[in-house]
Amino acid sequence: MAGREAIKRAVQQVRPILSVDREEARKRALNLYKAWYRQIPYIVMDYDIPMSVEQCRAKLREEFVKQRHVTDIRVIDMLVIKGQMELKESVEIWKQKGHIMRYWKESQDPKPTDFLSKFIQGV
Amino acid sequence: MSALIRNLGVRIASAGLASKHVLPSVSALSHRLSSTAAADAKKPEKPTVRKPDAVARTHLSDFGRYVAECLPKYVQKVQLTAGDELEVLIAPEGVVPVLQFLKDHHQAQFTNLVDIAGMDVPCRENRFEVIYNLLSLRFNARIRVKTYTDELTPLDSACEVHKAANWYEREIWDMYGVFFANHPDLRRILTDYGFEGHPQRRDFPLSGYVELRYDDEKKRVVCEPLELAQEFRKFDLAAPWEQFPNFRNANPPAEVVQPATPPKK
Amino acid sequence: MIRAPLVKALGALGSPTHQIASRAVRTSAIVAQTPAKAPDTIEVFVDDIPVQVLPGTTVLQAAAQIGVEIPRFCYHERLAVAGNCRMCLVEVEKSPKPVAACAMPVMKGWRIKTNSEMTRKAREGVMEFLLMNHPLDCPICDQGGECDLQDQAMAFGSDRSRFTDINYTGKRAVEDKDIGPLVKTIMTRCIHCTRCIRFASEIAGVDDLGTTGRGNDMQIGTYVEKLFLTELSGNVIDLCPVGALTNKPYSFVARPWEIRKVSSIDVLDAVGSNIVISTRTNEVLRILPRENEDVNEEWLADKSRFACDGLKRQRLVAPMVRMPNGELQAVEWESALIAVAKALQKANGQIAGVAGQLADVEAMVALKDLINRLEGETLVTEQDFIKGSGTDVRANYLLNSNIAGLEEADAVLLVGTNPRYEAPLVNTRLRKAYVHNELQIASIGPKIDLSYSHDNLGSDASLIKDVCSGSHAFSKVLEGAKKPAIIIGADILERSDGAAIHATIAEYCEKLKKPDWNPFNVLQNNAAQVGAYDVGYQPGLQRINQAQPKVLVLLNADAGKLTREQLPKDCFVVYIGSHGDNGASIADAVLPGAAYTEKQATYVNTEGRAQQTLPGVSPPGMAREDWKILRALSEVTGTPLGYDTLDELRTRLEDIAPHLTRLGKLEKASFNELSPKTATSKSISGGAIDVKQKELREYFMTDAISRASPTMAKCISAVNKQQRQDEAKQSVAI
Repeated sequence: MAGREAIKRAVQQVRPILSVDREEARKRALNLYKAWYRQIPYIVMDYDIPMSVEQCRAKLREEFVKQRHVTDIRVIDMLVIKGQMELKESVEIWKQKGHIMRYWKESQDPKPTDFLSKFIQGV
Repeated sequence: MSALIRNLGVRIASAGLASKHVLPSVSALSHRLSSTAAADAKKPEKPTVRKPDAVARTHLSDFGRYVAECLPKYVQKVQLTAGDELEVLIAPEGVVPVLQFLKDHHQAQFTNLVDIAGMDVPCRENRFEVIYNLLSLRFNARIRVKTYTDELTPLDSACEVHKAANWYEREIWDMYGVFFANHPDLRRILTDYGFEGHPQRRDFPLSGYVELRYDDEKKRVVCEPLELAQEFRKFDLAAPWEQFPNFRNANPPAEVVQPATPPKK
Repeated sequence: MIRAPLVKALGALGSPTHQIASRAVRTSAIVAQTPAKAPDTIEVFVDDIPVQVLPGTTVLQAAAQIGVEIPRFCYHERLAVAGNCRMCLVEVEKSPKPVAACAMPVMKGWRIKTNSEMTRKAREGVMEFLLMNHPLDCPICDQGGECDLQDQAMAFGSDRSRFTDINYTGKRAVEDKDIGPLVKTIMTRCIHCTRCIRFASEIAGVDDLGTTGRGNDMQIGTYVEKLFLTELSGNVIDLCPVGALTNKPYSFVARPWEIRKVSSIDVLDAVGSNIVISTRTNEVLRILPRENEDVNEEWLADKSRFACDGLKRQRLVAPMVRMPNGELQAVEWESALIAVAKALQKANGQIAGVAGQLADVEAMVALKDLINRLEGETLVTEQDFIKGSGTDVRANYLLNSNIAGLEEADAVLLVGTNPRYEAPLVNTRLRKAYVHNELQIASIGPKIDLSYSHDNLGSDASLIKDVCSGSHAFSKVLEGAKKPAIIIGADILERSDGAAIHATIAEYCEKLKKPDWNPFNVLQNNAAQVGAYDVGYQPGLQRINQAQPKVLVLLNADAGKLTREQLPKDCFVVYIGSHGDNGASIADAVLPGAAYTEKQATYVNTEGRAQQTLPGVSPPGMAREDWKILRALSEVTGTPLGYDTLDELRTRLEDIAPHLTRLGKLEKASFNELSPKTATSKSISGGAIDVKQKELREYFMTDAISRASPTMAKCISAVNKQQRQDEAKQSVAI
């Protein structure tokens, strides 16, 4: 009984969100990346942000690389869906300048990591 | 509701009729028999606690049973909550067929989708419940359809059945992060662009993660991690009379409606 | 000798209730005293559930056995039964009237109904009578939200009122009494449960409270106008089921549902009472006791309870460095740390550390590690102990019979200690043994009031030798006792002949020792002391004088025993601590630390039980946790200590003293460890033995926190005022 349950769990049939295999999920992620990559010049122009296209593309890459460890197809799909929505919000100029600039977290000071600076800052 | 039930079948109809015609006379009889009936009649009604009507309850459970018999594949449980509110608990893949059935069945006609609500219970395997509140204007009846899902399993969108589901499902998506497959326009509806997380999830802190302010130097709104200058006030509202648990009498939260006949093989 | 005055007095009153009550107490006492006889249990039924109970068990206790809590006001587990509130009335089948569950012993086969119609009606009636004379001032009452009367009125009272006296002509009104600066009285709210009276006469041993009048005119009071002054007065606040006795410094401060509660440990004496710190918006509002049968039962001494307002006064909120003009000036952490680190580096290992009475184990370990890394050796505690290697053996400085164990003692000798003020909750144990266990107590030292009668053998130190050689009359009592105990005050071991006293008594205790009973006890009076010895600190400041250090680190050392004159001229004194007291005033650099309500830290109580405090609030201003200051200092000095978090520090602590990381457990010193051989000379030089805290006024201010507390100052002036009044009255009488 327990063995059967374990097998059931291992080959658990889950409902896919969009992609059925890794390859498809990979393609979706790449497509999203390319879409963003192509839209960045227009975003820079439309929002008049104080960033160059190169900086924006570096940021784009950084945001994708941040999720590099994700292997679950459904999680990848969910991230792609959210990225797609964000892209649409950006391209349609529903967002404002501040929303775009939020990716850079300019006004946030990095948190101290070593003991002494943590001690002095009192965190 | 009684009108709705009457049409369902001979057996149920007769029950409905019986209750409609026989019951008032029975209650009148009992009034006459009891010696303090006159005194009781004078007493003003005290509507502090609404007592559900027994007749309405049988009608509701009969209808619930009927739905369960019609859609055995999807309906997992039928229950009455708060005395007289009918709930149909269904499997996630049954959202569209069940809603379609309730909408199109001639004796139900739940054509009005009043609301879709979400609920998050993080300890469950399927942590989210999605609750469809339906109204039948034709029969003045309400029903609640509940289903469940987790963070990653999509639900079918009810938009093809009820146009009203469009915004409600966007709200659920925004607040809980439940993905609806085949939704025509699934995007955020309440939160700000760039907002991260789903605020109605129980693990989302009440104070949020970020705060916004206008930065005069940058001449725009900036977003920063939340820092509360004052302690967040959390009240300890545990009932003080909990120390006498033996003297509490709470009503049962939900009563399960059993199928009419036990399934035979 | 009347040891349990109230029970007897109640019996003498002659009312049927009181007779039942006293009978119940007496029967249960008899049961407790004769365990040898195999107890025949009898069967009773509570709500039709069969329960096997011992004869003499009350209905209330029988119901509690199956988890049915019967409502009550006057009944309390630790006090004698009074049976006067009638809230616990329950129906017993075939009994014509409901019975008072708290006072009625069960009979065989009784069927008790705790939720029948009759029971509920009886409760509703009692509640109606109580509320008839109780003011409707819950919105302005401090008990609101944690009031037994409120809760039980909700659960058991009627849902409508028959009270028609809208002009309030008939409601009872009672004048408030002034019973001191700690307990506020609103006597109109009193429901005459007499818990406070019973507590005062049974536990505190002060027969100050009592009742006057009867029926509707009954009043609780002190008979004549005087203050209820005892070191345990705060407990009547917790005992009072209504808002008649409330916390005066806490009055109108907060509601119970808006405060946060943190379970912690008290450090103002060496008992290590378990407490609950109530905080709101980063402020300690009040301190309540937490139940721990092994330490404080459910009581708390007044200093521990009321000195918490000292946590807001006199605090060090920024690091300070002494400028060339001799003034201490507030600076940033960076410059303060650099100034101290420079001095440490220049000292070439001539560094010493002193741990004071509030120092926690973690900080002491960090200080020890830091000084050892800088090649310093001298680490001492402010409190002195016997000379030589007395602290090498743990049994030499612990209360070996342990606090709960003292309840079973049947002969106790107190040597140079006043447990009533040095450790009030040890004294309640002794009093409990005195009342219930026929404990015989004698003391060597000044004549003091211990709240129970005892033999004062005299104050000369030579008496110790008499007793320990077996020639004194009390030696016979000790030797004949099943569980004798000798309790030595920590202060007398500071004397020059302390080692001899210690050795003499230890040798005698060797003789008195029983297989599972160690009669040798040292009653410490500082929370830090046992922990300091456990992690390897040496006692005594004279080592500082010998070492002549270039840098001296004072860790919470505020006793004022060390003066600038004793130190070399060029000595750089660093003070780490929470309050601007004696230690900070002689320091060249002041590093603000956290008080016990602001840090997670380990303290070891006088019986050797390691317990930890938990932070309820964050340290004020730029103050930091003590061990973190030392860790930061080590990094600036260039010899960083190997721990960045408290867990890592605790791992280090486990290497030094593994028993200190087993929190809450009592780590006893083994029997064989007790060694009288440590002493070199055994000549007791004689002379009078003295104790520091003889009277109540000397109890209130003993450390940096209580010295900063305005409430404690008020207590002292109240005691002084009372004394002046008493003297004036006496002179008039003469």
